[in-house]
Amino acid sequence: MKKRKIGIPRALLYYYYFPFWLKLFDELNLEPIISDSTSRDLLNKGVKKSLSEICVPIKVMIGHVLNLDQKDVDYIFMPRFRSLKKDVVLCPKFLGLPDMIRHSLPGLKTEVIADQIDSKSDDIAKFDNHQKLSKTLNIPKREMKSALKKATDFWQRYRDLLFKGYLIDDFAGIEELEILEEVITKFENDPKPPQSRDQNLEAPVNEEVVDIAVIGYVYNIFDQYINMDIINKLKEMGVRVHTFSMVAEDIIEKELSNLRKPMFWEFTNKLYGAAEHYLKNDGIDGVIHLTAFGCGPDSMLGQILEVDAKEYEKTFMTLRIDEQTGESHIITRIEAFIDLMRLKKENN
Amino acid sequence: MRLSFPYMGPTIVYAKLFELLGHDVVMPPKPDKEIIDLGVKYSPEFACFPFKVITGIYLKLMDKNLDALVTSGGHGPCRAGYYGEVHKKILQDLGHEVEIIVIDSPHDDYKYFYEVIKRLKGDSSWLQVGRVIKIVYELTKALDEIEKKIEILRAYNDKGTINKLWMQAQEDFYQIKNTAEIKEIKNKYLNKLIKFEDSIPVEAERYKIGIIGEIYVVMEESINNQIEEKVNRFGFEVERSQYLTNWIRENAFPFLDRDLEKIEKKGEEFIEIGIGGHAQGNIGHAINFKEEGFDGIIHLKPFGCLPELVSQSVMDDLSEKYEIPVLTISIDEQTADANVLTRVEAFLDMIREKNYREVM
Repeated sequence: MKKRKIGIPRALLYYYYFPFWLKLFDELNLEPIISDSTSRDLLNKGVKKSLSEICVPIKVMIGHVLNLDQKDVDYIFMPRFRSLKKDVVLCPKFLGLPDMIRHSLPGLKTEVIADQIDSKSDDIAKFDNHQKLSKTLNIPKREMKSALKKATDFWQRYRDLLFKGYLIDDFAGIEELEILEEVITKFENDPKPPQSRDQNLEAPVNEEVVDIAVIGYVYNIFDQYINMDIINKLKEMGVRVHTFSMVAEDIIEKELSNLRKPMFWEFTNKLYGAAEHYLKNDGIDGVIHLTAFGCGPDSMLGQILEVDAKEYEKTFMTLRIDEQTGESHIITRIEAFIDLMRLKKENN
Repeated sequence: MRLSFPYMGPTIVYAKLFELLGHDVVMPPKPDKEIIDLGVKYSPEFACFPFKVITGIYLKLMDKNLDALVTSGGHGPCRAGYYGEVHKKILQDLGHEVEIIVIDSPHDDYKYFYEVIKRLKGDSSWLQVGRVIKIVYELTKALDEIEKKIEILRAYNDKGTINKLWMQAQEDFYQIKNTAEIKEIKNKYLNKLIKFEDSIPVEAERYKIGIIGEIYVVMEESINNQIEEKVNRFGFEVERSQYLTNWIRENAFPFLDRDLEKIEKKGEEFIEIGIGGHAQGNIGHAINFKEEGFDGIIHLKPFGCLPELVSQSVMDDLSEKYEIPVLTISIDEQTADANVLTRVEAFLDMIREKNYREVM
């Protein structure tokens, strides 16, 4: 029998969960089709079909859904992420995403499978989170559960590597499960540390290596088109890049417990915890808050970080990306930022 | 305590509440150009507009020697529930030493809630507190009842005369001490309004607009460019989805109000789960307005409002399915009065024209 094709948009939490989904669909004998990488054309189509004042990541998402619709897939898989922790939800736009897609893209011809994810932790493998998938594709509960178990074990290996200091970027381009498996196994056995932990890293001629924490959501810092490939640009300039996905959960929890009232948004809280951890950390030279145009939760987080960075006397910068950011301005700003840190280091 | 609070809608209600509890109340200034500029200057660029306005109000109050600012919290995921925490940071960073007391739901943190209530109650006994709450609730109901009348009558009568009556009513209400006086004043003004009611035409010739959207921009006329007056000016009646009575019932006595819940449930057709703010409820209100024979919906939201962007996304579909015209207006510090006026006028013209053709 021909495998049924299931489309996954390469947007939003794709970067966080794609190993889970690749493994899951492989186990279920489905053919996953991932939308193309973000490009000018793809983004423009998304922009055209979305409200002008909505945030860039949602516009990107709509572009990817439209892209999949052109690819002749049988279904588009786009869960409604509601919660990954008790009493904490995601941004309202995540909560309403399937509704927005359903009511603002009337021309969409592919069926969208939008399971609601209500989880107690980042592990989303509960059967209840996949009921619609199971029903739509006629998958028996037992088979579904066993596939979910394998998917989550595989994802856990990926997650462990991220905690160890690997960047999502080190995996995100991979679309084939076999290759991903190989890469994960290779890294697991690699004696050489990942870039962010590499003490022998060399910077371009006579420059000092600096450590920068880039604070931002996975879909902003690892979508190479939308952020003008900032991660690789930093690496080329001799920067060890640190991100929130490398910070252990208990550290994030500890930082959050210092707030009278944590924020309401799961990933904003994660960013806050990680950022506070990096602000206090002497090994980190500077913090960049990478945010997207129109991001509501970040407007709150950014203000808090700005004040706190002053308190900890840490070099801090906000970089805002939108659908038309020019590349040169990003380069100029990160160059100036890195120079500033090197100067600070020399003076010490 | 010497305290103040953000300006929203009928401010006398909050003032009365704290005054009756024995606090020294400083009335917050009504938002104007100066306050908005001040707020914009010291708020994050992408914070929503109500946040910026409230920053401005707080900063303007800073020379008043306040002990505390009292505001409401919430458990999100609309940003408004987190305003208090970020305002604390901003005021602290600017060197102002004033406490911000955030009233959160007891569900979130019972101990904190209890502490806050104990402080706000001051020396009053719990019995007195109960009495005060009753008075304030009655006051809100009376104010809302009169305002709903005003929103209808202003469409058919001289705007100045009606507005003046409304102002006087609010001033009189500010003097009340007990529920009997509330009733007395309410009846006085309802009687005064009766003579204007002859001007209401027969049902078929009445045009009605429902206003839905984010609570702050819907309720606060100094922020929404007096949208209700503008609509009235063209001979259209107005009703809002949000009145303070609803808000109090929703937050203080959620078990009381099944009707409102029923209306808001209707929103599930377009937004399946609660996503924060009043997005789902607003969709429900839009459908309800249509069912009650309203001719159009004006949807107000602060620029970049998270929940309302979702409701705006489904609005075209709703408008088509329920055959009701919808005008969405985003409001922020750059919204110009003339722009709003032009758009409202064109929208209302369109409704009249459409109706005229259907009748022909």
